[in-house]
Amino acid sequence: MTDELKKQTEMLLEINQLCKVYRGGVRANDNVSLTVREGEVFGLLGPNGAGKTTVVNQIIGLAVPTSGSISIAGIDVVAKPGYARQACSLQAQTQVPIAGLTAIQAIELVGRIRGGSPTQVRQQASELIDHLEIGEWKNKMGVTLSGGVRRLVAFCMAVVMPGSIVILDEPTNDIDPLRRRLLWQEVQNLAERGFAVLLVTHNVLEAERVVNRLAIIDQGRVIGQGTPATLKESEGESLRLELILEPGTEPPKPPDFLIQSLASNRRVIAKVGKDSVTPAIEWARNLKEEGIVEEFSLGPTTLEDAYVRMVGRLDALELTEGGT
Amino acid sequence: MREWLRSYALMLKWQALSNKPMIPLYVAVEIMIAVGFVIGIGFFYPQINPTIAKFLTTGAPTLILLMVGLVIAPQMVVMARVEGTFDYIWSLPIPRMVYLAADATIWLLITLPGVLLALIIGALYHNFTLEVSPLVVPALLLIAMTGIFVGYAFAHGAPKPQMAHVATQIIVFAIMIFSPVMYPVEQLPNWLVALHKVLPIQYMAELSRGTLTDLDVNLGLAFSITSAWCIAGLVVSYFVIRRRH
Repeated sequence: MTDELKKQTEMLLEINQLCKVYRGGVRANDNVSLTVREGEVFGLLGPNGAGKTTVVNQIIGLAVPTSGSISIAGIDVVAKPGYARQACSLQAQTQVPIAGLTAIQAIELVGRIRGGSPTQVRQQASELIDHLEIGEWKNKMGVTLSGGVRRLVAFCMAVVMPGSIVILDEPTNDIDPLRRRLLWQEVQNLAERGFAVLLVTHNVLEAERVVNRLAIIDQGRVIGQGTPATLKESEGESLRLELILEPGTEPPKPPDFLIQSLASNRRVIAKVGKDSVTPAIEWARNLKEEGIVEEFSLGPTTLEDAYVRMVGRLDALELTEGGT
Repeated sequence: MREWLRSYALMLKWQALSNKPMIPLYVAVEIMIAVGFVIGIGFFYPQINPTIAKFLTTGAPTLILLMVGLVIAPQMVVMARVEGTFDYIWSLPIPRMVYLAADATIWLLITLPGVLLALIIGALYHNFTLEVSPLVVPALLLIAMTGIFVGYAFAHGAPKPQMAHVATQIIVFAIMIFSPVMYPVEQLPNWLVALHKVLPIQYMAELSRGTLTDLDVNLGLAFSITSAWCIAGLVVSYFVIRRRH
């Protein structure tokens, strides 16, 4: 087998030059190309409204591309959306319609619909419920579940009998920090078992820990793609200075040695060259003494820095969910 | 086919369990409406002769089957469209028509007790004997399916779900007041008579009347036209639910 052929067979999902223009001329996706391999967690990151869910909807056949192609295991799923629904299991961004079902009924029914035998599905559902520590809610009706538990149930529904591609669209919204970690462990288990995981999120800090490769999408276009390490490398050897402003204070004017300073609400992030570390700390300390800054930190650059630089605005991050 | 039936059984279970808390309420409401039609509309008449009694009693099943198919089921679809339910359901590996079939089955089962009770109570209350033909089963099934498929067609096909909701309000009014279900078509003005020659409502009422009483009805014509509407509703439903954004 030639290297090229081997590479092609490893690529489970291939999206080429995907464009989606809605009636009225709204261009939701513009020339999106990406590939996802077996056994890989691939992150599709971008701010709200970037066009991430539109990509997902086209993969599973809810929407049809204006141009471009999508194939799964070499099969054109734009022409055969039924195949896409067999091959992909989805945790949608919207809540699942399980108001009248109990958690266990919903998980087991989807497992059966996805072709599992009753015994197999019961065992898988039970393991998932144990791993995610949601046993106390398994016999509760969907309508009584909190948003976070309902999303965990939706995750179980997506992975109880996974397709060869598992698509998770903002899977951790509303979920408590402890169970987020458990969920990410399950995601990694899926990849280790050979499933391809397409993780759609705006939560960069969480994604950094779990993805093998990622694409950053903004305003419908892929603006960066690679491993977290290669994307971070593009930041060079600089450090990141982060300031949390006192409530009600204006962001201070950045001195010349700060590179690409961005501010949003109470948060200011800037790149600092290795040679400017001392004056940067001095400047931040002074701001703290003057009561402008509540706290500051200086550290190595993160994927978030690469993301913020590419997207070009700090408000693309959701700070309340970033710190878990 | 086996896979289709397996998916159908699972979706039926999904729908039955999902609606379980509400099913007794829906059944009770359908019974109340059906019996209400049989007895309540009788109050419009100063005196009820045997023919009127037969119109009222056999018209009630048609009316509630149409109410469910063209009003209640479409309203549920509208609600589900607004809530984004179908974005999830359509992502499951089942043929979309399987979902429709399972949903239609649930509505049929919810309506059945009301249909039967309306007939029994109507015959007892108005003091006449039903002349039940074996054709009553396909006739009532056809009425139910036609209503539901036409209902799905416009509920799923309307560009905006709210438009379908408004349509159901108009339809309920038109069926209740301006359709020859509980009274003979000759009582309507000529333009409405002409309109009802192409709409299925009059023929649905005739299917019920012709298979449950000794009144003279052209059953062949009623089956033909209602079947044509049923197939049209099914075909349109098939295409609109396969549509991709």
